[in-house]
Amino acid sequence: MNAFRTLLHPSRVVTVPLRNAYRWFDERTGITQLVHKGLYEAVPHSGGWAYTLGSATLVLILLQLFSGIFLLLDYVPSVEEAWQSLHFLQAQDAFGNWVRGLHLWGAYTLILVIGLHALRTFLSASYKRPRELNWMSGALLFFLVLGLAITGAMLPWDNAAYWTATVVTNILHYFPLIGDGLRQLWRGGTFVGPITLTRTFALHVWVLPFVLFAFIGAHLYLLRRHGEFGAWVNYNTETDDPDKEIGERIRNAEPPYPTKRIERRYAAPKRTVDFFPDQLFKDTAVSVGLVAIIFIAGLIFGATLDEPADSATLTYVPTPEWFYLPLDQFLVLTPHDPLIAVGIFVIVLAGAAAFFLLPFLDRSRERRPTRRPEVLVPALFMIFAVIFLAVLGVNRLYNL
Amino acid sequence: MSTSTQIGGNLLTNGLLVAVVALVHIQIAAFLIGASTMAIVSETVSLVRRNRDERHDRLAHGLIKSSIFIFGFGSALAIFFVMFVLTGVWGKFFVSLQQITFWVFFLEGITFLFEIVLIYTLYANWQRLGEHRKARLGMLILLNVVQWWQMFFIDIVASFMVTPNGGDVNILNLILNPTSIVLTAHRTLGNIAWAGAAVALVSGVQYLRVTRRLETVRRTAPATAAAASVGAMAASAAGSEPPEAREARYWDWAGQWGAVFAVGLTLLQPWVGYEYAKEIQLHAYPAWFNMMFGDLSNVFLVQITLLGSIFTLGAAYFWRRMKASGAPHARRQGVVTAMLAFVTLFAALPAWFAPTYADVVTAHLDRPFWQGGLLNPFGNFIPYKVGALFAMVMLALWSLTAYMRANSRDELQAGRVGRRSAVILIGLGATVSVMMMVMGVIREHARQPYLISGELTINNQQILNNQPSAVGGSSGVTDR
Repeated sequence: MNAFRTLLHPSRVVTVPLRNAYRWFDERTGITQLVHKGLYEAVPHSGGWAYTLGSATLVLILLQLFSGIFLLLDYVPSVEEAWQSLHFLQAQDAFGNWVRGLHLWGAYTLILVIGLHALRTFLSASYKRPRELNWMSGALLFFLVLGLAITGAMLPWDNAAYWTATVVTNILHYFPLIGDGLRQLWRGGTFVGPITLTRTFALHVWVLPFVLFAFIGAHLYLLRRHGEFGAWVNYNTETDDPDKEIGERIRNAEPPYPTKRIERRYAAPKRTVDFFPDQLFKDTAVSVGLVAIIFIAGLIFGATLDEPADSATLTYVPTPEWFYLPLDQFLVLTPHDPLIAVGIFVIVLAGAAAFFLLPFLDRSRERRPTRRPEVLVPALFMIFAVIFLAVLGVNRLYNL
Repeated sequence: MSTSTQIGGNLLTNGLLVAVVALVHIQIAAFLIGASTMAIVSETVSLVRRNRDERHDRLAHGLIKSSIFIFGFGSALAIFFVMFVLTGVWGKFFVSLQQITFWVFFLEGITFLFEIVLIYTLYANWQRLGEHRKARLGMLILLNVVQWWQMFFIDIVASFMVTPNGGDVNILNLILNPTSIVLTAHRTLGNIAWAGAAVALVSGVQYLRVTRRLETVRRTAPATAAAASVGAMAASAAGSEPPEAREARYWDWAGQWGAVFAVGLTLLQPWVGYEYAKEIQLHAYPAWFNMMFGDLSNVFLVQITLLGSIFTLGAAYFWRRMKASGAPHARRQGVVTAMLAFVTLFAALPAWFAPTYADVVTAHLDRPFWQGGLLNPFGNFIPYKVGALFAMVMLALWSLTAYMRANSRDELQAGRVGRRSAVILIGLGATVSVMMMVMGVIREHARQPYLISGELTINNQQILNNQPSAVGGSSGVTDR
C-alpha cells in the first residue's frame, strides 16, 4: 500500500524520510515545543515597530559575527602583517573590501540601534520591577558593544588604529593608584607595541564576544520570562470600572502574561498580538532593511585603511571614531590638572553607573515619561550633553 | 600690524549707538525665535491632550500676538542698524565684512522674507486655522525653522568676527568656523530660555495686576469674596468665582511654565558657554585673555553672578510655589535655594582685587592676599569656579526636577501662590534680560582692538591689501 502511495506521489520518497527524521529528532530534543514557545507568545499590541529594535540589535550582532569570521580568514594579528593582510584583503581578495565595509558599517549601525533600543526601553519604563535584570544585562551588552567597537578600531594597525591604541590605553593611566599597572597590562609594556595588538585581538575576538553572547542568552531568557513590557498606552484603562477591567485582562491573559511581581495594573496589556506572525513580520522588515542599508554602505563606501602605523609621524592628526567623539571632546574640555581624573573617571563612571543602576534609582510606580520627571529631566540633560559634545567634536576636528 | 590709535567719532557713534541698537535688536530677535518654539510646545500639548488644554492654546496665541507686536519694531531696528549704524558710521568695515559674508547675508535676507509671510499669516488667521490645528502647528514649525536658519546665518557672521581662522573666507570654512556651531547652540538654548523668562516676567506683572483687582472685588463684594480669595481660588466653584480668579490661575500657571523653560534651558548654558570659551581660547587667544584676565574679567564676574541669580531666583520661585500648595519636599527646595545663593556668592569671588591681572603684575603684588598680595586663589577658575559652576548646575537640576516631579504628581495648585512669588518671576525675567546684554557687551569688547579678531582693527576699519572675494578662495583679510 505504501509503495502504491509512493508511486502516486513521488515526492513522498523525500518527505516521508524527512518527516520521520524530524520526529526522531523532536522526540529527543523537544524542538517543536521550543519553536512553539518561541513563536506563539503574546506581545503588547501598541508600539510594535518600537519593539523591533531589540531583535534588530541581535541580527546586527550576528551579522558582525559572520562578517568577523570572514575577516579572520585573512587577518594576521601581528604588527608586521596586520596592515598587510587587510591591504591584501581590500586590494586582492574578491569582495574583500565589501566584507570589511560590512563589518565597519554593521558596527556603526549596531551602536546606533542598541542606543535607540535603550532609549525606547527607558521611555517606556520597561526596566521596573520585575525587569531590573533585563535592563542591567542590556546595559552591560551596550558597554560590551562599545568595547568591541573600540578594540576593533585598533586592529588594522594603520595610523588611525595605532593612535587609537595609544590614546585609549593611555586613558587607564589616569586611574588613581593602579592606573600605570593597568596601562602596562594592556600594552604589554611601557609603549604600544606587538603585545598590545595581540592582547587587543584576544579581547576583540575571544573575551568580549564570549561575555557578549553569555549576556545575550541571559537577556533573551529574561525577556521570555517576564514578557515584553510595551509602551504605557498598552496599560491604559478605558471603562468606568478600571479595577474590573484589569481583572478581566489578567484572567484572559495569554502567556507570558500576567507578569508576576508587578503592580496589578501593569500585569497584562489590554490587547496583545502573537509574536508570530505579527511582531515577527515587523522585526524581520526592520532587520532586513537595516542589513540592506549596511550591505549598500559597505559596497559603496567600504572601509578606509590609512597608511601603516608610524609611531614617529609628525603629520598625522589622530581622530577618534564618531561614537567616542563625546568622550574625546569631554577630555578636551577637562582641565588637565588637577581635574583630569575627575573628568575621565568620576563623571564618566558616575554617568555609566547611573545608566546601569537606573532601575534602582527610579523607584516610582509611574510608567508614563511625563510622570517621571525625576529621571526624564536628568536623562534629557545627559542626552543633550552627549549629542552636543559629539557635534562640537566634529566641528573641532574640522578646524584642526 | 598697525597699533590701535584714537579714531574719529565720539562715544555716542562709536560705542553707545551700536550697543543700544544691537542689544535691543538681539533681545527682540531672540524672543521671536524662543516664542515660536514655546508656541510649538504649547500647541502640541494642546493638540495631544484630550481636553484640548485651553491654557496652552491661549499661551500659544499670546506668544504669536506678542511676536507680531514687536516684530515690526525689531525689524526696523535691524534695518536702521545696517543702514545707518553699520553702513553709515562703520562703512568701511561693514562693506569688507559684507564682501566676505555676502552669501550668508543674502540667505539671511531670504529667510527674513519667509518669516514675514509666515508670521503675519499665522497672526491674521490664528482663529480660522483653529479648525485645522495640525496645519497651524505645521506653520508654526515652519516659522521656527525659518527663524532658526536666520539666526544660524547671522551667527556665522558674529562667530567669524571672533574666530576668523586667519581670515579664511572659503564659504564652508566660514560656515564651520570654530565658534559658529557652539554659538548657534548657545543662542538656540538662550532664545528659548529668554522667551520663557519673558513669559514669566509678563505673567508676574499680570498676576500682580489681577490679584490686586481680585482684592478690590473682595472688598467691594464681601459675599462673593469669601469664596474667591487668592488662597481659595482653586477650591472655589467655577460658577461663583469672579473672572479675576480664573485669570489669576492662568497667569500663575503661565508664570511657572515660563520659569521652567527659563531655568531648564539655562541649565545647559554653563556647559555650552564653557565650550564656547574653550574654542575662543584655542582660536582667538587674545580675546579669551581679555575676557578672563583683562578688562572684561570683572564683567565676567557679573556674568557668573547673574547666572547664579537665575538659578537662585528660579529655585526660590519653585520653593514658594510648592510651599503655597503644601507640596511635600517644599522644605528641601528652600534648602537648595539657600545653597544656590551660597554657591553663587562663592563663584562671584574675584581672583584678584584689581581691574585686570596686568595691574596685579605691574604692582608686583601677584601673591595671595594673606601674604599681602592682590591675588585670591579661591576665586580661580580652576578648580574653584569650575567646581562652583558644576555645583550650581547640579543644584538647579535637582530643584527643577523636584519641582516638575511635584507638578507631575498633581501636588501643585494654580492661583495659590503669593504676590511676592510674582515679584520673583519679574526678577527672573529682568535678570535674564540683563544677562543677555552683559553677554553682548563681553562678546563685542573681547575682540578689541579688532573688529575681526586678529585681522582688522578698529582704527583701520578697512582692508588695505588682499581684498577678499565674495566667495571662495582663501585670501585672508589682512590688517597692515
